Amino acid sequence: MNRLLGLVLLAGRRLAGGLLLLVGASFLIYFTIRSAPGDAIDAITPMGTPPEVKEKLAADFGLDQPPLAGYVTWLGRSATGDFGESLVFAPGEQVMTIARPAFKLTLLVSGGALLLCLFLATALAVVLGEPSPRQQLLTGALYFVTAAPAFVAAIFFSQGMNAFVRRFVEDAGYDTPPWYPIPIYSESVMPYFFAGIVLVAGDGLFMDMLNTVRAEILAVRNAQFIAAIRAKGASTLPHTFRNLVVPFVSAFAARLPVVLGGVVIVEYVFTLDGAGYLLLEASKQRDFPVVVGLSVLFTLAIIVMNLLADVVRAAVDPREVARNG
Amino acid sequence: MGRFSRIGLWLSGAIVLVVVLLGVVAPFIPYEPADAVSYDRVLEVPSVSHVLGTDEQGRDIAMRLVKGTEAFFLPGLMAAGIAVLVGALAGAVAGYATGPVRAVIVGALQLLDTLPRLVFIILVCTIRNPSVTLIAFVAGVLFIPTVAAVIRRKVEALGSEDYILAHIAHGFHSVWVILYHILWLQCWPIMVRQAAYVFGYVLFVETGLSYLGDYGVQEPDPSWGNMVAQVRSLPPDAPWPWLVPAAAIVLTISGFLAFGNLAARRGEEAIR
Amino acid sequence: MTATPEPMLQVSDLVIEFDTSAGRRRVVDGVSFSVQQGEVLGILGESGSGKTLSTLAVLGLVPGRPGVVGGRIDLVLDDRREALLADLPTVVSTPNRGPVRKDDRRWNRLVQRRWRPLWGRVMTAVFQNPRQSLDPLMTIGAQLDESVRLAEPTLGRLEVRGRSLDWLARVKLHEPARVHASYAHELSGGMCQRAMIAIALARQPRLLIADEPTTGLDTTVRQEIVELFQELLAAERRAMMYISHDIREVLFLAREIIVMRHGRIVEVVAAEDLKAGRGRRHPYTATLLAAADLPVGEVAS
Ligand SMILES: Nc1ncnc2c1ncn2[C@@H]1O[C@H](COP(=O)(O)OP(=O)(O)OP(=O)(O)O)[C@@H](O)[C@H]1O
Ligand SMILES: [Mg+2]
Repeated sequence: MNRLLGLVLLAGRRLAGGLLLLVGASFLIYFTIRSAPGDAIDAITPMGTPPEVKEKLAADFGLDQPPLAGYVTWLGRSATGDFGESLVFAPGEQVMTIARPAFKLTLLVSGGALLLCLFLATALAVVLGEPSPRQQLLTGALYFVTAAPAFVAAIFFSQGMNAFVRRFVEDAGYDTPPWYPIPIYSESVMPYFFAGIVLVAGDGLFMDMLNTVRAEILAVRNAQFIAAIRAKGASTLPHTFRNLVVPFVSAFAARLPVVLGGVVIVEYVFTLDGAGYLLLEASKQRDFPVVVGLSVLFTLAIIVMNLLADVVRAAVDPREVARNG
Repeated sequence: MGRFSRIGLWLSGAIVLVVVLLGVVAPFIPYEPADAVSYDRVLEVPSVSHVLGTDEQGRDIAMRLVKGTEAFFLPGLMAAGIAVLVGALAGAVAGYATGPVRAVIVGALQLLDTLPRLVFIILVCTIRNPSVTLIAFVAGVLFIPTVAAVIRRKVEALGSEDYILAHIAHGFHSVWVILYHILWLQCWPIMVRQAAYVFGYVLFVETGLSYLGDYGVQEPDPSWGNMVAQVRSLPPDAPWPWLVPAAAIVLTISGFLAFGNLAARRGEEAIR
Repeated sequence: MTATPEPMLQVSDLVIEFDTSAGRRRVVDGVSFSVQQGEVLGILGESGSGKTLSTLAVLGLVPGRPGVVGGRIDLVLDDRREALLADLPTVVSTPNRGPVRKDDRRWNRLVQRRWRPLWGRVMTAVFQNPRQSLDPLMTIGAQLDESVRLAEPTLGRLEVRGRSLDWLARVKLHEPARVHASYAHELSGGMCQRAMIAIALARQPRLLIADEPTTGLDTTVRQEIVELFQELLAAERRAMMYISHDIREVLFLAREIIVMRHGRIVEVVAAEDLKAGRGRRHPYTATLLAAADLPVGEVAS
C-alpha cells in the first residue's frame, strides 16, 4: 500500500515536472519565433500573403503584443490544441486536423522501428554472449555499416531494392510490386516497413542499442543475485527478465529523440505521409503555423515518453520510489 | 586495449586526419562551380584525369568532394567547441554546486534536452536565414545537455574521492581543482568522445539538409549532401556521382565516432 | 573409533585460471580438500587467496573466463559416486604453445547437465555480499517462498508463507512479517545476511557453503550468526564449508581446517590440534594464531 502511494506521488510529481518542461520548451519555441529578424510576421510568412491573413496570424501568435503577453496568448490557445490554421500546405485547415494523423503515423513508424531495433539488438546480444576477441571483427564491421546517417541508409536501401526489382522482377517479365520504384507515393504499407528497417540500420542506432542492451544483459546475468538464485536451484529466467525491464525501458526512451530526428528525413526520402514529411514540406513552403504546431507535438512526444519511462521504472523497481521519495 | 581496437584507432585516426587536412586545405583551393560545368564530359567513369569520374554536369567529382568539406568542417568544429566547452562547464557546475545555482543549471539543461534536435533546427531554419553556421550553432547548443550529463556524472563520482578532497583540504581553490584536476586531467577523454560525436552530428545534419535541398548548401556550391541528391536524376548505370559522396559521409561519420570512442577509451585506460 | 567414511565431497588438483589485461593468471593452483558427511570444513586464508573461487568451483559457478581448467570434483550421494568434472578434458584443449583453451558452450552444457540437479537440493551457498545476493526487485518473502516451494512443492500458498515466516524466526529476525514484505534495500546488512541464510537453509541442502557470512557484521551479531549455524547444523547433520577471516569462528565450528595462500593450500589441520597448539605450524598459520592471541606452538621453517 505504502509502495502504491509512493508510486502515485512520484507519478504526480513527474507529471508536474513534465508540464513545467513543456511550458519551458514552448517558451523556447515561441521566443525562437519572436527572434525572427525584422518584422516577425514578414519573416515567417511566404511572400505575397494577403494582409488579412497576416493580421489573423499575428493575432493567433500574439505577435501584435509584447513578447511575454504574446507568449501567454499563444500558450493559452496551444494548450487547447489550437495551433492556428495552415497557410499554404492546406490553406484554412486547422493545423491539428492535418498534423494529428501524420503524427500518429510517425509515432507508429518510429516506435515500431525502435522496438524492432531493441528486439534485434537483444537477440544478437544473447547470441554473442560474453565479449570475446573473436567477435570484434563482426562488431567492428557492424559498427561501420550502421554508422551511416538514416537518409544515406535510405538511399542505399532504395537504390538496392530498385536494382533488385529491376533485375529479377521487371527484366524477368513479372509484375512489379506497387511500391516500385522507390520512392513513389503508394498506398502500400511496404514503404513504411522500409522506413522502419532504414531507421534501425542507420544513425548508429543499432550498435548503440546493441552495446547498451548487451552490457545490461551481461550485468544482470553476472550479478551476484543471479548466482545465488542458481545456487538455490530456482529458475533464473523470471528474475533476469524482471531485472531487465528497467534498463530496457530506459534504453527505449532515451533513443526516441534520435529516431524522431532520423524519421524526419527518412519520411521525406520515402515520401511517407508522416509528420516529418509534413514538417519539411511546410517549412519549405513557409507554412509557419504547421511547423510550430509540429515542433510542439514532437517535443510533447519526448516529454510523454520520458514520463512514461519514469513511471514504469518506479513501478518495477522499489528503489526508484525510495530514491525519489 | 586489444589489438583490434588499436587497429581501429589507427584506421579511424587516419580518416580523421585526412578529413582535417582536406578541411584545412579546401578553402585555399580556387574553385568556381560555374566554370567547372562542361556538358561534353558528362558522367564520365573514373579515369586518370578525373579520378572519381564526373557528374551530371561534367564537374570533377573528386574536386567537389574536396571542396565539399568546407561546408561542414568549420561549422562542425564550432558546434563541437560550443557543446564541449559550455557542456563541460555546465556539467561541472551541476555536479559540484548546490542550492539555486545548481537548480537553475539542471533545469536549463533538462529543458534543452527535451527539444527534438532536428525538428528544432528545422524550426529555426524556417524562421531565420538558414546558413550552415546557424545550423551548427543550434546543434552545438542542443548538445550541451548531452555533454553536461556525462561530465556531471564524472564530477559527482570524483568529487567525493579522497585525493580531490585532499587537494581542497590542502588549500587549493575548489574552482581550480575542478577546472584542472577534474575537467582537464580526468575528463578529457569524455570531451574527445563528445566532440567527435557532435562533429559527426553536424556532418549528418548538414549533408541531410543539403540533400533535401532547401536548407544547407545550395547547388551549385558543393556539399556531400547535395552531391548525393543527384541520385534522384541519375540513370541506374551511372551510380558513382552519388555513391562516392555517400561513401565519404559514411566513412567520415563512422571514422569520427570510432576515433572518439577508441581514443577516449585509450585515454581512460591511461588515466586509471 | 571407526575408519573415516568416504567423504561426501572430494576436490582434487583444482586449477582455476583467468584471462586478465596482464595475460593469463592462475588464481587457484592444484587445490585438494574433502568434506565429510555432516561435518564442517573451515577455510582460512588472506584476501585474494582463492577461498571463494574454490567453493564456487564446487558449486559450478565460477564466473569469468576460462575459469576451472583442471581437477576433479567427486560427490558421494547415497553411496553413488558422481564425478562432476569427468568431462572437463573434452571441454579444455591444450595447444602446443600458449595457455589452455576452454570451449564456453560445452562448459555451459556440462554445468547444466552435472550441476543443475544438485543446486539447492544437494548444495547451496550463502555468498560473501548479502545485499548483492538478493534480487533487488523482489521482496525477501517472495524469494524465501521460492526456496520453500522448491524444497516442498506440495505445500499450499498459506503453508508456504507460514514456513517462510518460521525460517525468518529461526534465523532470529525480529518481526518476520515485516521482513517478509521488505525489499533488500530496506534492510540492514546483518538482516540481509540472515535472510540469505534462511533462503539457503529453506532449501534443506546436504552441503551448505557459507562464504564469510559474518564479515561486515558487528561483534554481537557475528556471535549470534555463528551460534545459529552450529545450532542448525547440529540438529540436521548437514555438511558445511565455512570461509572466514576470523580464526576463532572457524575453530568454534569446524572439525578440519584448510589454510590457503596465493591459490594453494598451505596447511590442512584438525581444529583440535590448532586449539591445543599441537604439531608444527606453517608460518602463515602461525601469524594468524598469534594475531588472535592463540597458542602458536612449533613453527615450521
Ligand atoms: N572473474 C575474475 N577474473 C579475474 N580474476 C579474478 C576473478 N575472480 C577472482 N579473481 C582473482 O582471483 C583471486 C582469488 O579470488 P577469491 O575471490 O577466491 O579470493 P578470496 O580468498 O575469496 O578473497 P577474500 O577473502 O577477499 O574474499 C583474487 O586475486 C582475485 O583478484
Ligand atoms: Mg572471498
